[in-house]
Amino acid sequence: MLAEKYADRIEKIFSKYPDKRSGIMDLLYLAQEEYGWLSEDTLREVAALCDVDPTQAHSIAGFYTMFSEKPKGTYWLQVCTDLPCALRGADQFYQELCAYLDVDDGGTTSDGLFTVEQVMCLAACDKAPMLQCNFHYYENLDMDIIKGLIEQWRAQAQQEAAE
Amino acid sequence: MAETVTITIDGQQFQVPKGINLVDAAKMSGTDIPVFCYHPKMDPVGMCRMCLVELGSVVTNRETGEPDVDDNGDPVVRWFPKLQTACTQTVSEGMVVRGATQRVRDARDDILEFILTSHPLDCPICDKGGECPLQNLTMAYGPGESRFVFDDKIRLDKHVPLGDLIYLDRERCIQCARCTRFCDEVVGDDVLAFHERGRRLQIVTISDPPFDTKFSGNTTDICPVGALTTADFRFGARPWELDEVPSICPHCPVGCNISASTRLDRDFGGKKVIKRIMPRQNEHVNEIWICDKGRFGHHHARAEERLTTPLLRRGDEWVAVDWDTAYSEIAGRLKKAGDNVAFLAGNNLSNEDLWELRKLAHRTSNTPRLGVWPAFMTGADAVAQAGVGTGTRLQDMGPDSAILVIASDFEEEAPVWWLQVKQAADRGAKVVVANGRPTKLDRYATEVVHYEYGDAVAVLNSFAARARSKNKIDADFTARVDGAAELEAELKGTRVPFADAAETLLDAEDLVIFAGGEGLTLDQHRELMQAAANLLLLTGHAGKPNNGLVPVWPGANLQGAFDLGFSAETTAALADQPPTVWFIGSADPAAEDAALVQSLANAEFVVVSTQFMTPTAAHANVILPAQSFAEREGTFTNGMRRVQRFYTAQGPVGDTLPEWRIYANIGARLGGDKPRISAALVMRDITQNVPRYAAMAYPALAAVEKQFPDVGGDDLYYGGTAYTNTGGLGIQWPANAEDESARLQVRPVQLDGYQIEGLFAVPVRVLYDRSTLFEQSEMMHTHVPEPFAEINNQDAAHIGIVDGEVIRLNVNGAQHLLTARVNGQAPAGVVLVPQLLSKTPIVIGPAACAIEKIGE
Ligand code: SF4
Ligand code: SF4
Ligand code: FES
Ligand code: FES
Repeated sequence: MLAEKYADRIEKIFSKYPDKRSGIMDLLYLAQEEYGWLSEDTLREVAALCDVDPTQAHSIAGFYTMFSEKPKGTYWLQVCTDLPCALRGADQFYQELCAYLDVDDGGTTSDGLFTVEQVMCLAACDKAPMLQCNFHYYENLDMDIIKGLIEQWRAQAQQEAAE
Repeated sequence: MAETVTITIDGQQFQVPKGINLVDAAKMSGTDIPVFCYHPKMDPVGMCRMCLVELGSVVTNRETGEPDVDDNGDPVVRWFPKLQTACTQTVSEGMVVRGATQRVRDARDDILEFILTSHPLDCPICDKGGECPLQNLTMAYGPGESRFVFDDKIRLDKHVPLGDLIYLDRERCIQCARCTRFCDEVVGDDVLAFHERGRRLQIVTISDPPFDTKFSGNTTDICPVGALTTADFRFGARPWELDEVPSICPHCPVGCNISASTRLDRDFGGKKVIKRIMPRQNEHVNEIWICDKGRFGHHHARAEERLTTPLLRRGDEWVAVDWDTAYSEIAGRLKKAGDNVAFLAGNNLSNEDLWELRKLAHRTSNTPRLGVWPAFMTGADAVAQAGVGTGTRLQDMGPDSAILVIASDFEEEAPVWWLQVKQAADRGAKVVVANGRPTKLDRYATEVVHYEYGDAVAVLNSFAARARSKNKIDADFTARVDGAAELEAELKGTRVPFADAAETLLDAEDLVIFAGGEGLTLDQHRELMQAAANLLLLTGHAGKPNNGLVPVWPGANLQGAFDLGFSAETTAALADQPPTVWFIGSADPAAEDAALVQSLANAEFVVVSTQFMTPTAAHANVILPAQSFAEREGTFTNGMRRVQRFYTAQGPVGDTLPEWRIYANIGARLGGDKPRISAALVMRDITQNVPRYAAMAYPALAAVEKQFPDVGGDDLYYGGTAYTNTGGLGIQWPANAEDESARLQVRPVQLDGYQIEGLFAVPVRVLYDRSTLFEQSEMMHTHVPEPFAEINNQDAAHIGIVDGEVIRLNVNGAQHLLTARVNGQAPAGVVLVPQLLSKTPIVIGPAACAIEKIGE
């Protein structure tokens, strides 16, 4: 339970705002950090902490692409396919990426390592195609570069698993 | 009229109230600006972009503060470079609007085309088809053909239950956020919200219980498409087949104006039947809202269990007889019984019924006993003196106003008033909620007063004492009030335990008091009402709009019953001196009062007019099948003393008759006049005999005037499908305080509380119950809890019971098995017992009780 485990952090979050309801974004991040994603139970937990209806927590989690209401792979690849990026070939890039990882749009690889997803503008339009992996930016991509990165991530995951 | 500004719309100048929304201003001036997301009863959000206009303002010279003028002397207009959403504009002096230009048309065409890109072609099977804002605006705007590729259409769930009353069709939703804003802003239960964004935006709820506000049905009226439909009407009929009949909700003292949508129906033998209930606009009463009890509580009108012929008891059998036989039997008995008859009037008899019942009673005796049911509230004289001023509109109450709600679980007892008071609080009105326990209105209260049950009168009396000590007595007003000086003297030295609450009320310019009857004995209730009148009359908060007393009577027409000479005191006296003959008009005391059950069982003869075989009817010797509000005309007088007409909406059931006619027919056999041929003529008799009702002739009650906002009509996109009022706004009778020449009276009140050792039971009212009429709406059964008793945590721990456990309640010498609710709401020492969750009487007034754990 977040309330017990992070009592101090939660108190600090609430102290920043005039009312509890305003702390909901911070708490959703905290919850996602803790559980990896936001399940309905987690949303209820956060809503109760912030004194709002669970539906409102659900709504916020749904609006922001940085919150995930589904379990994710270890590496969460969010590719911007918004118009400016699309003009620089992001669409094509995304499709090739899916094909390379053998997943559908929004899917997770069978080994549970990678989740791919399209998102709206990430404010790096001039460096498209781009994506963010676990909230870190990778820009000016093509298939060669991304294949290299994927190998790196795989190796990293294997190493971590071995430890 | 308030301050105005001049605006120009498409070259024409209009004077409109300053500071109002541009869409409303245009509407008032006869120009329609198409909208989807804007709604005149909610804050604008500018989400749909349908309301685009060209907008300009006058250029003001910074030095002179005067408008710049061009060579012709006309003010220079600065146009916004882009089109603006009219719904997010507030009118200002000199504002210039163009809505009829090609540029605006093109933009609106584009928006409409855009909204339609993924909209399903459901019109032929959509409930909204025929009264759909999107349909109507598609006819007016947009290209005939879509350029979007059909394969790109987004497919979404079409039958999503948002709770068990409202269904969502996600494909039809155009994302206007009216429903979410209604829940959040208007009702304060934010259980609906958007999920995702862009083209994937969807309405969702994960609340528990899901969409379960008492006002959920209203979202289906304001939804500009057929995305939200009710479980009641879904696929039930097409709007154009329906004949709208103005009516009045028969369930509570608010007296919401409703429209019964009727049609000839195969399932009802080809007769006219109600297919749904819709709100009908009355800005003085319910505005454009109704609660779910009113919307879904109409099924009794055509229930299979309706009694269809007079019934005579022969031993243990009921024998169906014709009216003549029934009348003769009753007339014979009444003649013999003379003074030994008591008459009991239910709380949803029409004024016409009550009048004829009273006339009948006067045929049997010169001093007939005329009681009401239920009989736990009284104080009609306090209302007559200090009742809210005519013209009161809760929606006009704001920062200068205060509202006290005392001894009532307001949302349960008068939902739409609750909604309006909640909104008044949102606008800045000071709301004080006083009761023996927390209720939902506490959330919106400026001050909450939790007194000990039994102290309600003392608390209200202390507010008057505070008025005295803080010099808030209105001397000009009290010059008209007899007994004021004596009362003031008496108030001297009274302790004021809730001084902040008192001052919150006393500092306001306008003051309305809603008084319920929770936790009070009948004697205390009379004093509570007097204490309210005392406070209002001493401080001059009476005799003008938005000031005065409103009783939260149980039922739709207790006010009418009091006005026509029935009383709760009489009912109370009947317990001590039971009559040998009972004549009961659509009341079911046997479901609520164990003592009366006994009295009915002992009686020699019992006559009951009723729509259903109630526990009371089971004691009858003769049962007279009565008509529901749907099958006949009549009037109800609401808790604000507004007399309102309802009209015949459906065909008769069996041999049923309106009760006024039944009573008049019996009266005729006792030597009375021939019955009137219509309810209108009965009302004419009333107008000639009851001075307060002199102005209530049917044609006058049917008068309507233009109301703002202008809903219904051709432009449903503006206000939704609340119906235009064509049946009459009704007339309020003025309280004595409104007549400047009238003398008014106050008197010191009795402060006797009650002392009960140990636990005591307090009956409370819940909206969704098993009362005779509402019980017939099966779709609402899941909302009616099993009979329960609410107990304080400590008391529960002490007895050793937990939430949800079945317990035995001993009260008034009887035992009842009830489910315990232990949720921290009941005060210590109190057991809250909701009324009418079953047909077995438990307790009707505060009483000592004991709780036993059963089983080990
Ligand atoms: S369901 Fe209706 S009211 Fe709610 S957002 Fe959709 S279109 Fe608007
Ligand atoms: S608030 Fe009262 S009068 Fe209005 S619809 Fe509900 S039950 Fe009927
Ligand atoms: S459009 Fe892709 S980052 Fe801006
Ligand atoms: S944006 Fe103005 S009505 Fe929707």
